Amino acid sequence: MEENSKLILQVSKAAVGYGKEVVLRDVSLEVFENDFIGIIGPNGGGKTTLLKLLIGQLKPFSGEVKYIANGGGSLFGYLPQAGQIDKNFPITVMEVVLSGLLANQGLFGRYGIKHRKNALEYLKMAGIEHLKNKSIGELSGGQLQRTLLCRALISDPKLLILDEPNTYVDSKFEGELYELLKELNKRMAIIMVSHDIGTITSYVKTIACVNGSLFYHKSNQISTQQLAAYNCPIQIIAHGPVPHTVLLDHNHNEEGHKH
Amino acid sequence: MLEFFSYQFIQNAFWASILISIVAGFIGTYIVARRLVFLSGGITHASFGGIGIAWYFGINPILGASVFSVLTALGLESLTKGKVLREDSAIGMLWSLGMAIGIFFVFLTPGYAPNLMSYLFGNILTISMADIQLLLVLALVVTLFFVVFYNPILFISFDQDYAQTQHVPAKFISYTLKVLVALAIVFSIRAIGIILLISLLTIPANIANLFTKRFSRIILLSGVISFLSIVFGIVLSFKLNVPSGATIIIALMLFYLIAKVVGWLRLIIYKETFK
Repeated sequence: MEENSKLILQVSKAAVGYGKEVVLRDVSLEVFENDFIGIIGPNGGGKTTLLKLLIGQLKPFSGEVKYIANGGGSLFGYLPQAGQIDKNFPITVMEVVLSGLLANQGLFGRYGIKHRKNALEYLKMAGIEHLKNKSIGELSGGQLQRTLLCRALISDPKLLILDEPNTYVDSKFEGELYELLKELNKRMAIIMVSHDIGTITSYVKTIACVNGSLFYHKSNQISTQQLAAYNCPIQIIAHGPVPHTVLLDHNHNEEGHKH
Repeated sequence: MLEFFSYQFIQNAFWASILISIVAGFIGTYIVARRLVFLSGGITHASFGGIGIAWYFGINPILGASVFSVLTALGLESLTKGKVLREDSAIGMLWSLGMAIGIFFVFLTPGYAPNLMSYLFGNILTISMADIQLLLVLALVVTLFFVVFYNPILFISFDQDYAQTQHVPAKFISYTLKVLVALAIVFSIRAIGIILLISLLTIPANIANLFTKRFSRIILLSGVISFLSIVFGIVLSFKLNVPSGATIIIALMLFYLIAKVVGWLRLIIYKETFK
């Protein structure tokens, strides 16, 4: 890996969970700028818990999560699962994107033309500037996901954290999203949780597996032996007309993952 | 009509309607958008316990109700923390407990039993100058809070989890709003009663939501709808010689139905033009 790139986030020996129950133990992770980490793992293995730890929603029982701030914008941008959003809430696309500036503006901050122009640029990049005055209830799943992505990006974060961005969206948007992330990765580190490892391995640079703890392997090549070594009981599958298991020596290129 | 307006109690009712409509516009929009109607209903009814205890000890019922409703609002927060008790169950418990304590202490109070119906349905026509001053302070505080913190309130209400990643005191804003909801409820009880209050917090915001999806416009529109329905209800109750509170609620539901039908007809006409 690039030895001289800057450290953005350092998690050291963190244990985390809910109430008295420990879900993840001994989690250590270092994220450098321009990293693109795919996080995979079985259901119930603690993917969501790890995310909550990273975004500060859960405090670690022991160990620590340290963001090494390097000036400018927010520490991180966060894209939650679109399913967690109340689509009946009366708020417009523009307002949702502006809410990504909450950390910069604070409680008393005003949102002027400068901020709106900034928001509009991100909406243009996501191809939804014509929807700026629509309420979120009128959006499709993909459009909502794009809106939330703009919200995550408007503060120009050094790290982008995505929670299963490929659920609730059509495959066309999924392809566009991954291309967009590739572009964004040139100026920020990305951590993406996904259950669809068949697809993400062709985009991410490295893969981490969450199952009771975090197993981080600085490569995007995964084989069943490695998964076994990680204690990561998931099947390597890809979507297709017929569900199929990707073979061990399968080459993870795009041809193999036509959607 | 001018003669109608010359009565002091009608003038009082008029000013009270304006102030209550302002409060209902802000607070109603907030609780409808955040799906806190059931919670507000729980707080409103639980405050009855405070009224009962205050009666027993001979102190101001509104003071008792204030303490009870704020305690209920904050108590619900801690009861449901850690997910030991689900929120709707906790609301149901405090709702009935508050009402039970109220009945209990009113029964124990020797001599004259207060007219409990007046706390359920209130009477805007008997509102005093002191009550109006209280409502004025409330309306000013609520308006100021919403104007100063409009964007954070909107952003935090929309997605609390996200707001917490933004290093702003999201908890402070939602706690303050809960306390404001509780106080708005209590200060309005005397004038309009528990039942009318819930309908004024719920129905106008839902009518407004049929016409606009903007938070700020729902606030404005629901305030106007509240005021019109209160005036309409009072005038109609005079003509028919029936209770004003109940008339206002029925009028509100009628407005809601009309708005629904209008929206439905517009949709049909819209579809016809594409045939």
